[in-house]
Amino acid sequence: MSALGAKPAAAGGMDPMASAIGVVILLVVIAATYMLAGTGMALMALIGVIVGGVLVGFGVHFVPVGGAPAAMGQAPGIATGVAMLAAGAGLAGLFGGAWAAGQGLVIAVITGGIGGGLMMAITCMFVNFIYVFGMGIPSASGKVAKDPITGDTQAEFKSQGTEGHGLPFISYVGGVIGGTLGGAGGTLIYIMLLDIYQAELPAMMDALPAQILPIAVSLAGIFAIGMFLVNAVLAAYNITGTIEGPHDPKFKRFPRAIVASAVASAVCGMVAIMIVAI
Amino acid sequence: MESIVFGIGITALAGALATVAGAAENTESDIGSQGDPNSQVQLAPQMGYLHRIFNKAVAGEPPAYGLWVCLGAGIAWAFMAMQINPILAIILGSGLAVFVQGVYATTAYLGRTASLAKFGQPVYVDVLKSMTTVTMAHAFVAIFTAVTMCHLINAALGHPFPLPLLGLVWGIALGAAGSATGNPFYGKERQYQSQKFGAGVPISASGNIVRYAEAGERNSLDNGWFSAKLGGPASGICFGMIVFLELWRTVLFEHVGAGWGAIIVGIIIILIFAVIDRYIEVWARKNYGPYGPAKEEEATA
Repeated sequence: MSALGAKPAAAGGMDPMASAIGVVILLVVIAATYMLAGTGMALMALIGVIVGGVLVGFGVHFVPVGGAPAAMGQAPGIATGVAMLAAGAGLAGLFGGAWAAGQGLVIAVITGGIGGGLMMAITCMFVNFIYVFGMGIPSASGKVAKDPITGDTQAEFKSQGTEGHGLPFISYVGGVIGGTLGGAGGTLIYIMLLDIYQAELPAMMDALPAQILPIAVSLAGIFAIGMFLVNAVLAAYNITGTIEGPHDPKFKRFPRAIVASAVASAVCGMVAIMIVAI
Repeated sequence: MESIVFGIGITALAGALATVAGAAENTESDIGSQGDPNSQVQLAPQMGYLHRIFNKAVAGEPPAYGLWVCLGAGIAWAFMAMQINPILAIILGSGLAVFVQGVYATTAYLGRTASLAKFGQPVYVDVLKSMTTVTMAHAFVAIFTAVTMCHLINAALGHPFPLPLLGLVWGIALGAAGSATGNPFYGKERQYQSQKFGAGVPISASGNIVRYAEAGERNSLDNGWFSAKLGGPASGICFGMIVFLELWRTVLFEHVGAGWGAIIVGIIIILIFAVIDRYIEVWARKNYGPYGPAKEEEATA
């Protein structure tokens, strides 16, 4: 019951010193990558990876996650972990995005985003299906008096001794937006890394581009999954436990996660790029 | 045209396999008490309620299934590289992955339950003997179907990811969909069967899980039977629809409008699900009504 009992301050402010240090590390990593790799392509790849990581970190904040209390109908949201659910949606998006990689960056990133959003749309619908038809419980938010989208009042649909349950429509929309951003971010990381691996690996391994392709796809895929999990877990730490979606006061903490995700993605991205660029 | 018909057939088969995978995954995790409801299984002895429920939640379902499906897919991929028939390779790979799941389940049960020794919770060897094999059997069904689905996506539909990577991606998605859909049904409806239907479990009741069955003490096989009635099939349909619709929109509309066709169809499907979700939400509010008056009665009583 720690997720319910220990409720930290709703909106954590930005620590100026920590943010400044984060930005300095970010700039140092970008500069170091440019100096070491010496190509504009490596720099572009790193910036793409950072943007992708930020999209993932930001997107996780939209996903309504109730954790263990949600599994007992004690709190609204989806009854699983923040990082886990975001990873499930984002990776389903990455699957679609990777498939569309041959159709150009924009199409692939949007396809990846839609794949993540689709996964969340179906999952969130089934969460409400189980709550309503399996358990006889209507949706109710514990954080707002009225649903910001539909205007439905929430308090009278909250059963006694709970913080709410199910997924109010705003949480459903948040889940879809979160899955979309996660899927798009994961796909962007994958495509940026795939491009640089396809460009650098043939010369490095003295092989034809066609022979290199399976290695490039595997390397970019596993790095994209790894970086996705790094950013999802970072965002989960920022959220601390459960969040209802964009209407939750905890959502206002996202600027911290954006700085943290940018720095973490830059460091991870530099390692991923340096294995072929040096 | 033939390739599209072939693609749709493979898509339907992959969707069917995913449905079975989702149902088996959720039933397995509920028998093993691996999802979030496990917090109550772990909490109960601390509140004085000793029980005979299996307890193996040392990892969430998504990473655990990411590991097992990836392992099964990786071993199958290695066997296929040795020119072994794909069906045999997938069975062997899934079988070996299930042994890892069995070791995981055994050590997790012993570790988690032994940590409750100071609250008087015994480690039941008969529970270990009878439940572990049942979770392994369900895990085999889930892993085998998920790996077969990944093999179809890779070999027949031509997805660029190699089989182990697809196993990791879809294993994590399988665990995420299964835990999201099935956990509330097991957590609220089964573990707290003695609480009122149609309301969340009051926080004050935490830990007081139902420990007795029709005859004797309740065990995790009873929970598996209960989950298989709704939580499991719903998780299966959820995961099956995710896989089917994702593949369907890509196979049919990938080349329409230079890639935009699949995107537009994806947006339309999302909007349709949003409408269905809103309908369910409104239906529940209209038919179940607010809790208000009952709450006041109880407060004054």
